[in-house]
Amino acid sequence: MTQDNRSGRPQGRPSPGESRLSRVEAQLRGPFLLFFVSAVIWLLVASVLGLISALQLRGVSGEVFTFGHVSAAQHNLFIYGWAFNAFFAINLWLTSQLGRFELRNAWLVSLGAIIWNVALTYGALSIFAGDLNGFSLLEMPRTVGPVLAVAFLLSAFWPIVAYAQRPTGHSFASQWFVVGASFVFPLAYLLAQLLVLWNPASGVVQAIAHSWFIQNLLLLWLGGSALAAVYYFLPKVLGRNITGYYLASVAFWTFFLFAGWTGTASLLGSPIPVWVQSVGVVGSAMFLVSVIITAINFHGTLSTQSGWSLAWNSTTLRFISLGAVAFTLYGVLNALFSFRGFNAVVRFTSFSAGQEQLLTYAFASMVIFGSAYFILPRLTGSLWPSTKLVHLHFWATAIGALGSISASLAVGWQSGKQLADPAVPYAQVLTASAGLASASLIFAILFLVGHVAFALNAFGMILKSSAPAVEGRHD
Amino acid sequence: MQNPKLLIAGVFLTVALPFGALLLSSQVQLGDLAPAPEEEGGALYPATVPGLAVQGRDVYTSLGCIACHTQQVRPSGQGSDIARGYGDRPSVARDYVLQSHVLLGDRRIGPDLANYGARVAPTPKGTQTEPEKAAALAKSLAAVHVAIHHGNTFAFLYEADAKGDFAPERADALAAYLLSLRQDYNSPEAKLKK
Repeated sequence: MTQDNRSGRPQGRPSPGESRLSRVEAQLRGPFLLFFVSAVIWLLVASVLGLISALQLRGVSGEVFTFGHVSAAQHNLFIYGWAFNAFFAINLWLTSQLGRFELRNAWLVSLGAIIWNVALTYGALSIFAGDLNGFSLLEMPRTVGPVLAVAFLLSAFWPIVAYAQRPTGHSFASQWFVVGASFVFPLAYLLAQLLVLWNPASGVVQAIAHSWFIQNLLLLWLGGSALAAVYYFLPKVLGRNITGYYLASVAFWTFFLFAGWTGTASLLGSPIPVWVQSVGVVGSAMFLVSVIITAINFHGTLSTQSGWSLAWNSTTLRFISLGAVAFTLYGVLNALFSFRGFNAVVRFTSFSAGQEQLLTYAFASMVIFGSAYFILPRLTGSLWPSTKLVHLHFWATAIGALGSISASLAVGWQSGKQLADPAVPYAQVLTASAGLASASLIFAILFLVGHVAFALNAFGMILKSSAPAVEGRHD
Repeated sequence: MQNPKLLIAGVFLTVALPFGALLLSSQVQLGDLAPAPEEEGGALYPATVPGLAVQGRDVYTSLGCIACHTQQVRPSGQGSDIARGYGDRPSVARDYVLQSHVLLGDRRIGPDLANYGARVAPTPKGTQTEPEKAAALAKSLAAVHVAIHHGNTFAFLYEADAKGDFAPERADALAAYLLSLRQDYNSPEAKLKK
């Protein structure tokens, strides 16, 4: 299917003469595009906020755009706006592909999309208005929480329905990950809302609940959804089986079993019971089991029969294999820097921001980009308008991600080392890390350029595409 | 794997187990913590904070100060917090029991504030009244944020707006809040170093 694809060429488009859309795909075209367009718009907004945030450290002031507001809004919009919307769309598509699921109630999904994005807009505006609280990714006013949960159920509960109703007994790893991710998030979100905002637990228990929620969100929902896409696209585009696929079920269970225990490792040294911190350390180390198995599955598949060079020449796989490598790196770094000695150095520095970016950008977002290059041409029935923009998108985001993440990690480690020595005055540490501010400005511009290139290409293609065939090919 | 009920039940367990083991049992362990006296029959710590400080806490939250400031002092084996003078002892769970929403924070672009009140105001009691101290602190905050090249002076807190209305109430409240941040008492879990 793709062996003859050259770099930058669109993937997954139907061969000429073939009826464009299967009925399954025709039904989810509307909701998919709604989610996807929203996701890209939020990505652009978040990139602009990222640029403002980078400039902020260099002397912009004002009450609405305090660093706290801008960074909170940017973080929330990147996660809830970009990554959530994109995975709503991709999970829906994966589900319909693997389970032959016909989305008869597409209007419910679209309703979910509208509620989600309206609530998110309100939440983001509230942050700028100063109506925010101090828990990362729960900053939006607490009234937004239940609305987002309802919208999530309308948008993302379908994979579970599809899995229960699937006509064949067989199931594939991607389905498990999508079902698990869709099931876990609303549960964790509502419990965290309850324990942190609506009926706050006693004192620092809120912080424990919050760290647990963050790991559920980042690892189980974002990570799980992204792993599902990798498990689907690697064999699909390369046209071969996953190496060691029999291990995938072990990867799934260890991933879900241990991810929930890793959260409190981010609270090492905090005023919480030491046993809770130690559980987090052990959880992060055990989580390596699933990281190793996915590494065998992904890198093994890519390493046989010149898979890497095939992947490099396919736009979809170029992004996705980059994401797969990033996930392995994240798992190793996460385990390593959960140990007390290392953690004590990098705690409270930019290091943890770098770690999170490795997961949410280099892994999850790259997988989203790759999936979009595969799915969008199929759903719109047209080609990506510009190969140059595809290249610009890849290089700008890849260099931006590599640079931004390694700068955060390196500066975090360096300033952590300096902070560990009480003889080094705080002002000197700040001066030493001032380089990060200049660097982050460059990377924020790179991200924005890459995302604008992607948006131009995607919107151009969607606008160009003709109306969908309502009664398409039956298969 | 093929049975959807088993899959969902398994995934549910993976959420429920950490929730029960980490969250519920910490709530059981820590839920009953209350202010304790420093010595038999003494005053209770953490002390309740004045109303102005409670308002200042809202200012702190709504400006997003937590993006750059933590409020937790790690034990001496874990980082250099105590050696740097952020506090005289590590923070313990009991220090936070009176806070409706804890503001531990996870990033230090500025210094830790857990013990800021005790650190910044070493003047002997009685030389300055609380409001005077608060006003002095409010003015110094702007200078501090400029000095660390943060850029944002937070001048809107102290300066008159375009109409000429001068409303430093928020600055005073914020200052009162910062002065109320003290972990300079003996707690049953952590004694001050002599």
